Amino acid sequence: MSDLEDLKTRLKIAKSKLQKDKTQNADKKGVFLGNAFKLGTELVAAVIVGTIIGFILDNWFGTKPILIIVFFLFGAAAGITNVIKAARKMQRDIK
Amino acid sequence: MATNPMEQFQVRKIGPEIEISGINLSFTNSSLFMVISAVLILILLLFGTREKKLIPGKIQLISEMLYNFISKMISDTAGQKAKPFFPFIFSLFVFILFCNMVGMLPYSFTVTSHIIVTLTFALFIFIGVTILGFVMHGFKYLKIFVPSGVPIVLLPIISIIEIISYLSRPISLSVRLFANMMAGHTMLKVFGGFVISLGLIGGWLPLSFSVALTGLEILVAFLQAYVFAILTCIYLNDALNLHH
Repeated sequence: MSDLEDLKTRLKIAKSKLQKDKTQNADKKGVFLGNAFKLGTELVAAVIVGTIIGFILDNWFGTKPILIIVFFLFGAAAGITNVIKAARKMQRDIK
Repeated sequence: MATNPMEQFQVRKIGPEIEISGINLSFTNSSLFMVISAVLILILLLFGTREKKLIPGKIQLISEMLYNFISKMISDTAGQKAKPFFPFIFSLFVFILFCNMVGMLPYSFTVTSHIIVTLTFALFIFIGVTILGFVMHGFKYLKIFVPSGVPIVLLPIISIIEIISYLSRPISLSVRLFANMMAGHTMLKVFGGFVISLGLIGGWLPLSFSVALTGLEILVAFLQAYVFAILTCIYLNDALNLHH
């Protein structure tokens, strides 16, 4: 009989712990969603900016297709570095 | 019955047309909802701080929570040096939050679903932070484009990438807020249209989607204001504490 009592209290403790974890996760969920939005736009925005810079420089120097391609690639690289930086920061925040 | 889901974003002028030296300054529904948001904020904060009770009432509690929330966010992300910018970030966050939330009411207009509004915010922050960086550090501020520990050969390429990533800040800041608000409101309207066209028999499914989406949109409205404010803090931090 005492074994059953023991199990009951242990179950209760475990359940309350589970509940606590759940509420904490719900608080953090919003932050994660915000981070997801952040990463997506960061990647795209850098590519857009790079392409625009390439377009403007092409018009200045009259080297029509070359600089836009080069700066598109630079923009993509900048976007990826942005995402890596943001991800590193997130990891630091979690720790 | 308006069935076009994009019609809700149309800017219409209210009252007479005002034109000063070729610039159209008419009062529009967009300006009206900005004024409504600002007045709501004023009412909330004025009533919240009128009676400073030890045990706060509901309105006082809300305004105190707002204050604490922003204060904690600034000290967590940008440190003590950023304290003088508290009023700016507080008003930015609260204004965007109220614009988003007022936009969630039926028949209202979402100010932040227009890229010109969000881009104005973002460019204001971007230019302000850049000036602040140069004022605080002089030409040393350019060091953020030159990360430490990079071989000389790679330096020109890395610098270009860093400059592009710096310039992409206002774009990503403004597009995020604008796209989220516009997409969300369009989706709500589209599902609303389905309810009408499917009628009593099939309309329950899109209606339930609509209810769920409204909840999600309220979360997104808060979240986008929060992300906007926290990224402003991060940019401020970069300008205040140069560590490269």
